[in-house]
Amino acid sequence: MMQHLSYPDVVSYAVPLFIAAIALELAWIVIKGRGGRYETRDAVTSLIMGAGNVASGIVLGFIAWGFFMLLWRITPLDLGNSWWIVALCFVLDDLRYYWVHRFGHRIRWVWASHVNHHSSQHYNLTTALRQTWTGTFTFMMVVRAPLILLGFHPAMVLFVGGLNLIYQFWIHTEAIGKLPRWFEAVMNTPSHHRVHHGRNARYLDCNYAGVFIVWDKMFGTFVPEQDEEKVDFGLVHNLGTFNPLRVAFHEWAGIFKDMSQPGLSLRERLMYALAPPGWSHDSSRQTSDQIKQEHLRDHPEDRGAAGFN
Amino acid sequence: MPLQVLLPLVVVGIGAIAMALHLLGLSKPRRFADTDQAIQAWLREAPQSSARDAVLSTDNQAALIALSDGFGLVWCFGADTVARPLGDATYHNTPDALIIRFSDMGAPQAKVNLSDQDREIWHNTLGIS
Repeated sequence: MMQHLSYPDVVSYAVPLFIAAIALELAWIVIKGRGGRYETRDAVTSLIMGAGNVASGIVLGFIAWGFFMLLWRITPLDLGNSWWIVALCFVLDDLRYYWVHRFGHRIRWVWASHVNHHSSQHYNLTTALRQTWTGTFTFMMVVRAPLILLGFHPAMVLFVGGLNLIYQFWIHTEAIGKLPRWFEAVMNTPSHHRVHHGRNARYLDCNYAGVFIVWDKMFGTFVPEQDEEKVDFGLVHNLGTFNPLRVAFHEWAGIFKDMSQPGLSLRERLMYALAPPGWSHDSSRQTSDQIKQEHLRDHPEDRGAAGFN
Repeated sequence: MPLQVLLPLVVVGIGAIAMALHLLGLSKPRRFADTDQAIQAWLREAPQSSARDAVLSTDNQAALIALSDGFGLVWCFGADTVARPLGDATYHNTPDALIIRFSDMGAPQAKVNLSDQDREIWHNTLGIS
């Protein structure tokens, strides 16, 4: 069994590409006068969140790596490192990404980490880099366990995960409209991912894909971008801070504040951490399902339309 | 990539992008054109609420929204807007502004710039002594 396998840290090697692409997108928007929006403090916050994500990986990465190597020692399976095994690993890891991402929107504990990625009201290439600092605390590394137990080396699993992240960078743009139909049918695209970042009732909780949009089509969470409804980017309740520390930790603070309210049952305290975002014991807030239902009460003509099935 | 290469690259990259955005005029604060625009910004955040009226701040960067069951604040935030009900807010006066603090780590406070005349209107509306 392979103990030592190494791949390049592709995400760090992609940093110059990220910077160049942001400069290119900005130039396009300024010259053409369309294709997106930039604002200084919003973009700087996103970039600092990206740098912090890399830093948190350096500081806390040993936890996930230790867990993965423990699994690697346990499993009797070793699929090797041929190119087609790497390709298969990439596809299966993208399926893993779909579910982690779906949990990230449906379980508040995981949302607390992921929310910062959605916290910009802009949608440009810097938004792609607005990444979590607290992913380790969601324990979503367990969703990678089956891959390693099946015989994919941990280094390979992290390598394809890095490729997945790099793929998702370029889809965070308004500068690209819709791509050829065959590509939109199979791959995650700027159009599909714009929908995912929407705060419109129609666009909440859909298009969780990383690379292949087919997962959303398979699992019933696909919503196409509608020409007649422009995506409104951001959170249902947008943040009023550019402070990266507040962006990174505000939802965690919200969870602990809600859980520690006096007079709650144990079940209610747990629900504040594990129920979908917006759940409350006194129905004073709304989950995305409730927001959709409320929208349909006011707009019954939308029933059965995309995003309201 | 070695950290001694990655770190300067990230720092210089963030600095260069920030400077380019600022020089392109993309740090310019947003202002509401009128009360209708402020009400629209409120309704974007709270579409089910009934916004009856709005009072703009002196610099048109914030507006007090009169609701059927209290008040809300909508304010300009970069190129966009943020809104919060004022139910649990606390108020603090400075010589040129009213600081409104929320019990919300994601939107801790808003600074509302007010002339003496506008301050009186806001104080009377909100019942601040």
